Amino acid sequence: MSAATVTLVPSAPGRGVWWAQTWAMSKRSILAIARQPALVMPSLIFPLFFAALGTSSFGKATVLPGFPRVNSFLDFSLAGSVVQGVLFGSVTGGTALATDIELGFFDRLLATPTSRVSILLGRLAGAAAFGAFQALFFTLVLIPFGVTIEAGLVGVLVITLSGALTGMGIGGFTAAMALKTGSSEAVQGSFPLLFIALFFSSAFFPRQTMQGVYRHVANVNPMSYLVEGVRGLTIDGLTLGHVAGALLVPAAIGVVSIGLSLRALSGRLAAR
Amino acid sequence: MTSTPIISEGLVRHFGSGDKLVKAVDGVDLAVAEGEIFGFLGPNGAGKSTTVRMLTTLLRPTAGRATVAGFDVATQANDVRRSIGVALQDAAIDPLMTGRELLDLQAVLYGIAPSAVKARGDELLERVGLTGAADRRVGTYSGGMRRRLDLALSLIHQPTVLFLDEPTTGLDPMSRITLWEEVRRLNREGTTVLLTTQYLEEADQLADRVAIIDHGHIVSQGTPAELKAGVGAPTLLVRVDVERNDAARDVLARFGELRPTAEGTLGVGLEGGPSQVTAVVRALDEIGAHVHHLELNEPSLDDVFAEATGHRLEGAESAASGEAGGEAGRGDGSAPAAPAGRGRRRSRR
Repeated sequence: MSAATVTLVPSAPGRGVWWAQTWAMSKRSILAIARQPALVMPSLIFPLFFAALGTSSFGKATVLPGFPRVNSFLDFSLAGSVVQGVLFGSVTGGTALATDIELGFFDRLLATPTSRVSILLGRLAGAAAFGAFQALFFTLVLIPFGVTIEAGLVGVLVITLSGALTGMGIGGFTAAMALKTGSSEAVQGSFPLLFIALFFSSAFFPRQTMQGVYRHVANVNPMSYLVEGVRGLTIDGLTLGHVAGALLVPAAIGVVSIGLSLRALSGRLAAR
Repeated sequence: MTSTPIISEGLVRHFGSGDKLVKAVDGVDLAVAEGEIFGFLGPNGAGKSTTVRMLTTLLRPTAGRATVAGFDVATQANDVRRSIGVALQDAAIDPLMTGRELLDLQAVLYGIAPSAVKARGDELLERVGLTGAADRRVGTYSGGMRRRLDLALSLIHQPTVLFLDEPTTGLDPMSRITLWEEVRRLNREGTTVLLTTQYLEEADQLADRVAIIDHGHIVSQGTPAELKAGVGAPTLLVRVDVERNDAARDVLARFGELRPTAEGTLGVGLEGGPSQVTAVVRALDEIGAHVHHLELNEPSLDDVFAEATGHRLEGAESAASGEAGGEAGRGDGSAPAAPAGRGRRRSRR
């Protein structure tokens, strides 16, 4: 153990340092996703599997009264696949945060003078990046199988951005749960709840074809509006309403979930 | 830089409440001088890590106050964090990142200018002997390599005060000695070090001064030489036939104060010194006790610990390791293992 000495030039505390810290934490989150293919592959494969299964099983449902005009059931499925994949991915991000807490890495971060909010935002930025990747991945993979994006290239970009916002929005909930419980098992346990929420939405069938309680639940389920924003771009085309739906709904969910996660962070820090 | 970079006065940390109240730290006073290596010695659950977590701003004190590098840990936490390096128990390091990536991340978190990050990382990697493994993921590192990387991470911003929480627990002897050498070197360069340990030898070898903590209280404090001198007489350890134990104990009591020992062994502080060994053996022979083992030890820190607490540290760590799991919890208010109401100290006979 020997070395020369480097004289350090500390940056002055300020907004630049805050951004650098947040970006560094984001990079770490993204690296963790890229380096755990076994953990993230299910979130890429299962939605495609459900899309294929739905198309082969319910292809003729497109002629039902109330079903929107689509070229194929696959056009209809894309939005559900995107949201489903992002749900999977968001649980992974929340689990990683809980694991940091369990293993003590979170304490290592807290022992530094870095902004506490940067630690959280870095994690959420990782979820957003993965959400964007997933949205683009599903779109590009399904296009060769016949999916058409009526909103064109701009629509693909908006869908990608919507994936990012959805990743951050749902990631906010799983991050809040991680910070509240400090348990990776608890975060993983939230997946069935998220999946049930998705199931009782218009992810797999249009609300117009539903009846009874199922329809009532889907009508008030934010997941329905999350899916329908993206679906409008896919099957209807580029309109201001569809763009707003694809971006504002996940953004609104994000405002709520990030608020909850900041509160959970504050609670965890206060409990020390 | 203050001449007493670590001061605590009546530091208290409780977990839980009511029947579940745990007094993890119950009035710790410390004053660590600049340039010192200060050893914090005690068994698992004694309050070492909880104290360190309060001094490093990871836990808020329930009562009392502490300053580190001249800053109050409760009201000037960020100033404390900028001044100290911390290597916590278990070397919690992200196994998916490489050593170099972790050093880069740590540098950014401390606000080090980007132009200096790479050179500082290279310097530290060389210093801890990890240059060759810098681009490997930490998940492939051995325990010793992780500890060395942990040390490098804690030094990234050239702290003036370094906290090492059980830095060598679980390491093989060679890795332990390597780490000791690095701690000594850092200290020679001017870094004040507070290290917690449950290893007597580590405290004896490394520390300029030692505080012995048990059940949340400091029970003894001083240089290792002072503490050992305070115990006085050397300890004679004797093992005889089990059925003659009580009689042998009475015999030994004639030669000095009985001392706590491991199960099955009797111990006495020989007030007359080593010259009395022959007389002890003769007296045991007279009562028909067959001596299986006889050992005369100069006072050690374990004797100091036993004198102060009524029980021995040596051998206790292995018994207690099963309940270790981090005495301080994870900062979520969870309580450590020790129950409330344990006495301030065991009886000093």
